[in-house]
Amino acid sequence: MTTYILKRLLLMIPTLLGMTLVLFAIVRFAPGLTTGGGAFGAGGEMKNQQARLAAEKQMKKRLHLVDAEGHPISLPMQYVYWLRDTFSGDFGESIQYNAPVVQLVKERLPATIALNAMSSIIIYLIAIPGGMLASVKRGKAFDVLWGFFTLGLYSLPVIWVGDMMVGFLANPRFLPWFPSDALHSTNTEYLTFFQYMKDFLWHTVLPVMCLSYGGLAFLTKLKRAAMLDNLGLDYVRTARAKGLGEVTVVTRHVFRNSLLPMITIFAGFIPGLLGGSLVIERIFSIKGMGDLMVTATLARDLPIVQAVAFVGSVISLICLLLADICYVLADPRVSYD
Amino acid sequence: MTELHNIACSATAEVPSLAAESRAAAYWTVVGRAFRRSWINRLASGWILLIILIAIIVPFLANGSPYTVVIDGQREFPLFRNLTRADWIILVCGSAAAIYAIAHWRIGKRPGTNEEVRATRVKWLLSLLLCAALISAGIWELKHDYLDVRDYHALAKQGKLQDAVFAPLRWGFADQEPLDVDHTFDFPTHDHVLGTDGNGRDALARLLWGARIVLGIGLISEVIALVIGVMYGAIMGYFVGTADILGMRFVEIVEAIPTLFLLITFVAIYGRNIYMLMVIIGLTSWTGIARFVRAEFLRIRALDYVTAARAAGLPLSSILFRHMLPNGLTPVIVTFTFGVAAAVTSESILSFLGIGVEPPTPSWGSMLNEAGNPAETFRWWLAIAPGFLIFLTVFAYNIIGEGLRDAIDPRLNKVQ
Repeated sequence: MTTYILKRLLLMIPTLLGMTLVLFAIVRFAPGLTTGGGAFGAGGEMKNQQARLAAEKQMKKRLHLVDAEGHPISLPMQYVYWLRDTFSGDFGESIQYNAPVVQLVKERLPATIALNAMSSIIIYLIAIPGGMLASVKRGKAFDVLWGFFTLGLYSLPVIWVGDMMVGFLANPRFLPWFPSDALHSTNTEYLTFFQYMKDFLWHTVLPVMCLSYGGLAFLTKLKRAAMLDNLGLDYVRTARAKGLGEVTVVTRHVFRNSLLPMITIFAGFIPGLLGGSLVIERIFSIKGMGDLMVTATLARDLPIVQAVAFVGSVISLICLLLADICYVLADPRVSYD
Repeated sequence: MTELHNIACSATAEVPSLAAESRAAAYWTVVGRAFRRSWINRLASGWILLIILIAIIVPFLANGSPYTVVIDGQREFPLFRNLTRADWIILVCGSAAAIYAIAHWRIGKRPGTNEEVRATRVKWLLSLLLCAALISAGIWELKHDYLDVRDYHALAKQGKLQDAVFAPLRWGFADQEPLDVDHTFDFPTHDHVLGTDGNGRDALARLLWGARIVLGIGLISEVIALVIGVMYGAIMGYFVGTADILGMRFVEIVEAIPTLFLLITFVAIYGRNIYMLMVIIGLTSWTGIARFVRAEFLRIRALDYVTAARAAGLPLSSILFRHMLPNGLTPVIVTFTFGVAAAVTSESILSFLGIGVEPPTPSWGSMLNEAGNPAETFRWWLAIAPGFLIFLTVFAYNIIGEGLRDAIDPRLNKVQ
C-alpha cells in the first residue's frame, strides 16, 4: 500500500512540473513583457499607470529576468529560479495589499476548501440514490424526467441562480431568510461551539446549494450507467436466482460494485467545482481564493493571480491522488504495486 | 449486344440510386431522422435557429435610426447608412448560409446518383462561399463606418422628422436616454419594455444584440478548440507509443488546472477584447476533443482501409485528414456541441465577473452584472431576463448534444 502511494506520488512529479511550466509560460511570454510597452495593460481597465508599472516590476522580479548585477539570465534558468521560489512559498508581493501573497492565500484557503468539501458530499449524497433509482426504473417516466431535470440543473448558469438566491432569499426587501455575507457572522467570538456551527451552517446553505446542483447531472448519469452495466452481469443473476429480493440485490450487490467509477470521477469534477466556487464566493461575498483572484485580476495584481492558479491546480492534483488511493482501498482487485 | 448494353445500363442506373440511399449521405439522413423524432430536440434546435436569426437581423429589429425619414425636406435612409462593416458582412454571410441551406435541401430531393448530388452540393457551396467572400471583401474596402451624430429620438420629439419609419424597437444597444432626464435603472415602462440599465440604455435592445456575442463566442471559440483538439488527438492516436504517452501527459496537465482559473490567468495577462476571449476560451477547452479524437483514431488505425492507404504510399496528411478524419469525426460533433454550451457559460461567467467583454458591448453575462449587487440594490427586472436567456441557450446546446449522441449511437448513451 505504501509503495503504491509512493509510486503515485512519484508519478505526480512530472505532472506537477508540467503544470508549473504551463503557468510559467503563460506569464513569461506575455506580450510586451520584455519590451516594457503595453504589458499587462492590454485590457484597458487599468487606469492607474503606477499600479501597472508596479505589477510589471513585481512580475519581472518574480520571473528573474536579470540577476543582481543586471545581466540577463537564460530562459531555462529563469524557470528554475521561478520554480525554486514557488516551492519555497515565495509568490512575490501583492501590489494591492502590500503583503506577501502566500499569506493572503493562506488566509483565504480554508473558506474555499470548506465550501468545496461540503458541496462534494452533498452532490454524492443526492447523485448516488438518484442514479440508482433512475437505473432501476430505466426507460420509465422517472428515469427520463430525472435525466432531463438534472440536465436542466447542469445548464442553469450559476451566476444567475446565485444572483436570484441572494436577491430574493437573502434580501430584506423580499425574504430575509438567509444571510448573504461571508461564511459566519461578525461577532463569532462570543458564541459557543454549537452556536458557531449553527451560524456557519446557516451561512453556507445557499452557497453550497449553488455549488452543488451543477455537478448532479454528471454524477447521476455516471451512477446510472455504472448500475446498468452491473445489472446485466452474472453475479446479479446469481443473487436473484438464490432468491434475494430486488431491493437487496440492488442496494447490497449492485450498489457496491457500481461505486468504483464514482470514486475515480472525484478527481475529474474537482477542477470544475473549484471554478464554480470562484463565482459563488464573488456573489455571496465569501472571502475565499476565488474572490481574491477576481479582485486581483481587476486590479492587475498578477502575483496573486498566478499564485491562486497554482494553488488551485495543486488542490486538484491532490484530489487526483486521493481518488487513486480511495480506488485501491475500495477495490481489492487493483494490485498495490 | 445492345440488349446486354441496355441491361448493363439499367443495372448501373439501379445500383447507384440504391447506393445513394444507403451510403454516406444516408447515414446523416438516418441520424437526422432519429434526432428529429423527439420534440424536445426540435424545440432546442428551433431556439438556436431563432438566436441565429436574431443575431443576423438584429440591426433591423433594434435600432435608434429610422429605416427612412424625410428630414429638412430630404429623404434619407439613416439605418442603412449607419450599418457597420461587421453588420453588412454578417448579413451577407447569413444570407449565403440561408441560401445554401435551402439549396442543400432542394438538391437532396433531386433524382440522381449519390456522386451527382454531392457534386452539385459542393458546387453550390463553393460558389456561394466565393460570392460571400467577394462581397465581404468589397464591403470591407468600400464601406466606412459612418458616425451619425444626430439624435433621432430628440428630433422626433421636436417634430422635425416626417414620414419616419422606425425599427420595431427604437433603441440600439448603445443608445442612451438623454442625459437631462434621469432614466437609469428604470422599471419596465411602455417605452422600455424591460427597463433601462445604469447608463439609460434599453435592456431589451441590449438583450437582442447580445445574441451575437453568445453565438460568436460559443461557435468560434469551440471551432478553435476543435482544430487544436483534432490535430492533437489525431497525431496522438495515429502514432501510438511515445507521442501518445507524452501527449496524454500534457492533456492531463492541462485538465488538472481548473479551467476557470486558467481562463482568468489568461485574461489577466493578455487582456480581454472579444477576439482575445474567443482564442482564450478555445485554448483552454480542447482537451476533451483531443481525448475523443485520440480514442477514435486508436480504433480506426487498425482498420484495413488505413493499412491500404499506407500501403498505397499516400502522404501522412492524406491518411490522417482525408481518410481517417471523416470516419473519426462523427462522435466529436457531440463533444463539440457540449463544448459550445461550456464556452457560452465561460463567457457569461467572465463577463459577469467584470473581466469578460468590454463595457459597451452587450453580453448577457455583463448585463446580469450591471443589474447590481443583489444583496444591496437588487434590480430583479434587469437580472431575470439575461440569466434566463443564458440558461435557455446553454440548455438548448446540451439537449442538442444529448440528442445527437443518442441519434449517432444509441449504445453511447452513457457518460464518456
